[in-house]
Amino acid sequence: MLTCDQYHMPQTLKEALVLWNNAPDGSRLVAGATDILPWAREGRAGDVHLPAMIDVTKVAELNGYKVADGRVRLGANVVFQQFLEDDTLREHLPCMPYCSVWFADDQIRQQATLAGNIVNASPAADGTPPVLAMNGEIELARLEGESVAVRTLAVQDFVQGPGRTALQPGEIITAVTCDSMAGYGGSFEKVGQRRSLVISAVCATALVMTDPAGQRLEDIRLAIGGIGPVPLRLADIEDKLRSKTISRELITEVSMQPPALVASRTRREYRRWVVRGFVQAAIEDALADAGHPIAPALPKEAEHV
Amino acid sequence: MSDFKLDMEVNGRRVSKHTAGHLRLLDFIRDELDLTGTKEGCGAGECGTCSVFVDGKLVKSCLMPVAKANGAKIETIEGLAGTGVLTPVQRAFHKTGASQCGYCIPGMVMAATSALRENPGASAEELKERLGGNICRCTGYTKIFEAVEIARDVIAGRVGTQALEPEGAGDSYIGNNVRRLDAPSKVSGRLRYAGDMTMPHMLHMQVLRSPHAHARIVSIDTSEAEAMPGVECVITADDVPGEDGFGVFVHDQPIMARGSVRYVGEGIAAVAAENVETARRALSKIHVAYEELPAIFDPEEAMQPGAPVIHEYASDNIVKHIPIRKGDVKKGFAEADLIVEETYQTQQVEHAYLEPEAGIAYVDHDDVVTVISPSQNITHHRHMLAKIIDKPINKVRFIMSPVGGGFGGKEDMIYQGMLALAAMKTHRPVRLVYTREESIISTAKRHPARITYKMGLKNDGKITAIQFHMVSDGGAYGMSTEGVMRKAAILSCGPYDVANVQIDTIGVYTNNTPSGAFRTFGAMQAQFATESHLDICAERLGLDPFEIRRINMMRDGAFTHTKQKLGSVSLDEVLTAAETSSGWEAGAPDMRGPARKDLGGPGTREPCSLGARFEASSGKSKRQVA
Repeated sequence: MLTCDQYHMPQTLKEALVLWNNAPDGSRLVAGATDILPWAREGRAGDVHLPAMIDVTKVAELNGYKVADGRVRLGANVVFQQFLEDDTLREHLPCMPYCSVWFADDQIRQQATLAGNIVNASPAADGTPPVLAMNGEIELARLEGESVAVRTLAVQDFVQGPGRTALQPGEIITAVTCDSMAGYGGSFEKVGQRRSLVISAVCATALVMTDPAGQRLEDIRLAIGGIGPVPLRLADIEDKLRSKTISRELITEVSMQPPALVASRTRREYRRWVVRGFVQAAIEDALADAGHPIAPALPKEAEHV
Repeated sequence: MSDFKLDMEVNGRRVSKHTAGHLRLLDFIRDELDLTGTKEGCGAGECGTCSVFVDGKLVKSCLMPVAKANGAKIETIEGLAGTGVLTPVQRAFHKTGASQCGYCIPGMVMAATSALRENPGASAEELKERLGGNICRCTGYTKIFEAVEIARDVIAGRVGTQALEPEGAGDSYIGNNVRRLDAPSKVSGRLRYAGDMTMPHMLHMQVLRSPHAHARIVSIDTSEAEAMPGVECVITADDVPGEDGFGVFVHDQPIMARGSVRYVGEGIAAVAAENVETARRALSKIHVAYEELPAIFDPEEAMQPGAPVIHEYASDNIVKHIPIRKGDVKKGFAEADLIVEETYQTQQVEHAYLEPEAGIAYVDHDDVVTVISPSQNITHHRHMLAKIIDKPINKVRFIMSPVGGGFGGKEDMIYQGMLALAAMKTHRPVRLVYTREESIISTAKRHPARITYKMGLKNDGKITAIQFHMVSDGGAYGMSTEGVMRKAAILSCGPYDVANVQIDTIGVYTNNTPSGAFRTFGAMQAQFATESHLDICAERLGLDPFEIRRINMMRDGAFTHTKQKLGSVSLDEVLTAAETSSGWEAGAPDMRGPARKDLGGPGTREPCSLGARFEASSGKSKRQVA
């Protein structure tokens, strides 16, 4: 059971920062709150009493998104369901609808934020690999005297390990920014114990841009999660594929490499098997999403005989 | 506690209240507004029973601090139809029989309503996807999806409202789609389960549970908890006035741990207080001194000489051994051309009914101790409780509340005694509602089994002898173990006519969570072994798996190994139906043609995928890739 002495709902960033700076030790900042409530239960943290909870979902500066100069700035209050339903976001972040549809369920996606998913820094976070692949940055605000100061960190520098980030005391995430990937095909692969409401054992994302004929890869982005302490960008594989003619053989070949990266402390062998198929599936699904599917090598059923 | 002024609109009516800001929206809706159609199945966002609309968006109210809903428009299950005619979704759920226990149904109706509001033309696949956040344990979902599709078509005007009308029983109730009388109360959220009930002046109970698998209780000091303001009573085994002990076959389980604890999660003491928070805080003020004892977790080890003894009356740790002998297995194995021996294991399984255990007890004006709970066996419970609280039977009453899923898991009287004791001690109504975690840790599970199966067969597939040896983990208390062992023994050889059988089923005490009744009551464990074994034998003999079963099946008038005469046996028809509908290719299990006809055909299910909603909007299909 989660209880607290004070539950604040600030309306402006300044107000939120002042509350957060003055909050007693042990206070928590929340957005969707979809993680903290299940955390404060038997078997995890048990009954938790907090001095204060500061809820940022009514902070106007954190709402909405903006697309400008080839970048998308997602306010920290943007929830996962928006990636499924908002046409502009679907156009500019083509891997995010696939990521979102595998994330929790329709109800939780109405509350859970991308920024919250990243700041939790779970090795299995679904939201982090896509942001990594899209050259994501985290925007952090803090008070400097009376004014609000902002710094920006690349997401790979922000997420440092399981539950560990570069967030400093008094800082609040205000936005996640990433490249606009309009024109790319996107994909997201995930395996867990069931379909909805499951934490990834492994997840992977791909974004591909082909030439108009779909013969050549102009650009590719790949990232993977659930295989070690932090999600990884697969830059060396991207390099092996960029500007190359698309073929199943090439994709199969490069997909053999990532299993070596698996550093998880549990189920390592299983994850190695999954990763190989995932990288291949992520690339192929992204090509299909771009409108240039690779013809299947074998009829599907035949493979299972 | 944080005080928060809330103004919201709930089901079209303005609500203005002061409350604690950290309170979950779910608690506010249920406890402050008494809208109990919104259920709590897990409290962790997993099950969907608490789904409500907040400003038109469906959310899980167990994951939302109520402060977030300040200023919002809330719509709950009660608001869908109000006092008027049920909505097409609700009527369709009634029509198809989608509501069984009904506990998941308000959440399902809300999710279905949301799906059709978001996309009135959603395909069957998309509907499944959009209902992915809701769990049902009764229906297998088919009737639910069927209902949502009917509702979709009625709302879109593709079919008339007569599609929502009952079909009628006709001449017989058998074979006809008869509507459930209790469905309207379930699809509207009006039905109150025990945890939805309140009584004036009611106290709330919480239970202190054992952290040890096996320990002697040296002392329990409840004085500090009892002194807390708001705590009305603390009860332990010392408060039991009569002969303590319950169980289905052997009354080996005390209402609360007496002298020792035998599994992690066993109740030791219970607090009744003015509210749940106080009761929970009081638990931490109860001081228990334990002396840990060696614990045993494997039933085979528990049967070894010198193993720790769990109950004094059973020095060999055996709850029940059921032996059955028929014919002469030695002779049967001597006649066999092939003898196959394998070991099969099944695991402990939780029932996971959507309604966690709950109950209310009170002592009425005539001193009748009354317990309301979703008990699957109230008469038996009433007799046991009368003895435990030392009252004549006419001073004990059990009222069965709607069971939000039982599957055997609510046959045991695991908490009703505590409620009765607290009501007797305080003379106030007392309610206990388990959390999901508490339900999982402390209630009975399906018996895990280890079965050694030895079968002798002739080359033509005829079984000459079966030796069936099952050792089952009964956990810390007897509960239904004896019955489960009996049933497993009766059904051990499946529906097959075998001349020589030797059967032993043995239920054993360990320090694991008790095993109890669970759908099939021991049959599943035995069938898993028998049918797996037959497939292996068919492969070894080069026989078709259907053929080996037909060779050995019982026919009309057959006698089982427990000498029951079977008037009619439908196994042949069942086998034929399975063979036809699966598109089975004749042959031994390991002989397959170049293309499997039993895969991917009509009546088979596609593997799980997500993204149906994109296919609808973009025309693109991820399946093109595969």
